[in-house]
Amino acid sequence: MSSLADLKLAPDVLFNVGPVPVTNTMTSAFAVSILLIIFALFVRRNAGIVPSRLQVFVELGIDLFMSKLVMILGSEKEARKYFPLIFTFFIFILVANQFTLIPFVQTIVTEEGLTFFKTPTAHYSLPIALALIAFFAWNFIPFIMAPFRFLGNFIKLGVFTRIRSIKDVPMALLDFMLGIMDIISEGARLISLPTRLFGNLVAGELIIAIISGLFFYTQFFVPIPMIILSILSGLVQAFVFALLTLLFLSTNVRNVKNHN
Amino acid sequence: MEPAAAKLIAAGIAIGLGAIGSGIGEGLIAGRALEAMGRNPEQSDKLLTNMIVAMAIDESTAIYSLVVALIILFAF
Repeated sequence: MSSLADLKLAPDVLFNVGPVPVTNTMTSAFAVSILLIIFALFVRRNAGIVPSRLQVFVELGIDLFMSKLVMILGSEKEARKYFPLIFTFFIFILVANQFTLIPFVQTIVTEEGLTFFKTPTAHYSLPIALALIAFFAWNFIPFIMAPFRFLGNFIKLGVFTRIRSIKDVPMALLDFMLGIMDIISEGARLISLPTRLFGNLVAGELIIAIISGLFFYTQFFVPIPMIILSILSGLVQAFVFALLTLLFLSTNVRNVKNHN
Repeated sequence: MEPAAAKLIAAGIAIGLGAIGSGIGEGLIAGRALEAMGRNPEQSDKLLTNMIVAMAIDESTAIYSLVVALIILFAF
């Protein structure tokens, strides 16, 4: 019977490649990527004018997400530009969250008795890596589009040129301080985006582990509602991660474009 | 008090108090969104997306306290 002391957050190290320890979350992240690449190549190879059932299903999913992008970004052209990044986030996190639900995946063990695959998003490193990619996307794309305007949104030196009389000085200072506050809020976004994903996934895993570890007879049917709940939260979190990245990106791009 | 006991109490208080605000907030969001959907059913697709995003942002404070509780339990 497992107790609370047996639970831990850190993944098990399977083996070392040079100085890099390979953990079981890493192997499953790689497995998810390879699965997705193979799936994409398979669908692409069999794609035709007369669609198969699988192709219809994939196109339905893409259309559904595309319509969301068009709704938020405003035009089809813009949506097509950012679609690959956002949809990759969505589909990767979606599959990674549910990866250990595939039958027999969690029963693969190494010689030391460690499970070979573990939900990759339930360790902090993968959400942080994904969030860093997203962070660079939503800051770097508007920066390249118009560097000075983008920096001007944060360090608002322009407000001082509009001072006409002594009465305008407090308002200008306030605007300037709000610009500085935006820098802090960018940092908060970078922290909160991965923490949300990680916290939800790890909470789901821990609840299942605790409930099945309570008594002998709670291992069998009692965790099922919790598993359903964690499947749901995994779906929602994948959607939320992609959508929040899109929202931050679109507000930054719009700020740069509609600057006056 | 023993350190282990203090750890458990601290983790319980952290997640318990942290979840109050976000629970109230999520209830308000869902209630208002459902109200709006009832008044304006053709808008419900758009509302559902916005509701989920708003809920996720609202939930993050509870998630922060969960992470703090986990750090108290496992990292100290």
